Amino acid sequence: MRNRSPLAAAVGDLSEGLRLSPVWWRLGLEQTYRRYQRTLLGPFWIAGAMLTTGLSLSFVFGSLLGGSWRESMPHILGGVLCWSLVSGIVAEGANTYMGAAGMMQVQRLPLSFYSLLSANRILINFLHQIVAFWAVMALFKLLTVPHWTLVLAIPLVALTGFFLSIPVAMISTRYRDIGFMIGLFFGALFLLTPVFWSRAQLQPDKRWIADYNPFSHLLEIIRQPFLGQAAPLLNWYASFATLGVGVVLAVTCLALFRKRVIFWL
Amino acid sequence: MVSTSLELFGVTLDYPVYSVRAKSLRSSVMNLAVGGRLMKDQSDTAVVRALSNIAFKIEEGDRLAIIGHNGAGKTTLLKVIAGIFEPTEGVVDVKGRLTSMIAVGLGMDPEASGIQNIYNMALMRLVRKSVIKERIPSIVEFAELGAFINLPVRTYSAGMVARLNFGVATELDADILVLDEWMGAGDAAFHDKAAKRMERFVASAKMIVVGTHDLGLVRHVCNKVCVLDGGRMSYFGPVEEYFERLEAA
Repeated sequence: MRNRSPLAAAVGDLSEGLRLSPVWWRLGLEQTYRRYQRTLLGPFWIAGAMLTTGLSLSFVFGSLLGGSWRESMPHILGGVLCWSLVSGIVAEGANTYMGAAGMMQVQRLPLSFYSLLSANRILINFLHQIVAFWAVMALFKLLTVPHWTLVLAIPLVALTGFFLSIPVAMISTRYRDIGFMIGLFFGALFLLTPVFWSRAQLQPDKRWIADYNPFSHLLEIIRQPFLGQAAPLLNWYASFATLGVGVVLAVTCLALFRKRVIFWL
Repeated sequence: MVSTSLELFGVTLDYPVYSVRAKSLRSSVMNLAVGGRLMKDQSDTAVVRALSNIAFKIEEGDRLAIIGHNGAGKTTLLKVIAGIFEPTEGVVDVKGRLTSMIAVGLGMDPEASGIQNIYNMALMRLVRKSVIKERIPSIVEFAELGAFINLPVRTYSAGMVARLNFGVATELDADILVLDEWMGAGDAAFHDKAAKRMERFVASAKMIVVGTHDLGLVRHVCNKVCVLDGGRMSYFGPVEEYFERLEAA
């Protein structure tokens, strides 16, 4: 028997992680469930943050930026909803391996498994929030039938987040400062991405901030279907490109550092 | 059918130890800024050669004891065998399903009940759900947890956690069982029960690798011994020969 090449081992790690899907799916559900064990309103608290942020922002910015509230509210609430998936998986990556340190010390599982597990938790939270989003939209009689591209967009965004979360998780485990930095970075990115504003509202010479931000494209491909329309093709191209970058980064980092992560804990 | 075996070829493991300072970005950036050498001497990253050129082969029915002083590399070797650490050099060739019980309780979720933890541990060992359901009664019975099985694991005593862990590890169709210092927790009755369980486990042509200080256990349960000394293997062979040498010395 011979050692596998680092590249083959990296791809092997990813495919092994995917084969474990029943395990991380079940564990993710259970960990989510346990978070609201002994609470009265349970799942509501998971959606609550999205609703309070989304509705507060739409109240203030909806009027600040002009236009009718009935137009801006779905855009802003949908933006906050979709942002939780777009940024959540990558940002959560900062805690993935440190959070799983116990499991990693006793059990041989591929590194991608832990990343899939934490991506799955974010996805489950997101599914909670969709229900809350539709409930609020129905309450204001703004409910629209989602565009079918949603079924492609959600997996694409989740997968992109998963691949990007691997290098983030590795570097945050090795350098503990990075974990904090990631938090600040996504805090800033929330403001710099058209979540509660739109690209058209920017002065033309500042629009690059939305154009060159991969997260704004990922955001649009899921937000637009929620509002009943397909996202422009450009957003799709940019999102696929981001996925490609994510895959390359994840495979490279796995090939280079996969063996060492356990010693960084 | 492929027979169960475990073979190590020239396994060496270098273990980087990062201090608090080495984990911070500032010291790494400083390393670059100062041009490396000066700061690197103080960078607090030590590399420990935990295992050096370990090679042996064990087969079906073997019960291997890994013994050595504290810090000799027992747990590290068990972790390499279990696949938790990948060797820096060399290859670990495992044929068969391996299950490990290295740090008792570490893989458990203290907030979840015993039953949920059985499910989780079994799922992580890739056991199918139907099989788990079937085995739960005998795991619970072995662990003697009774009604405690439905309470969160944080309410368990150390011995209860060890019993649950041992029950799961031995009940789930593994071919190779890797144990570390499992005698640490649990009372005398549990030790007898566990020893019986291990005998039964081995009787069905399976393998055990156990790291221990307990020479009584080595004499009664094991048939081969691997002695580690500062990360090197100073003896590997049958138990009888080991004890003969020990008496001769």
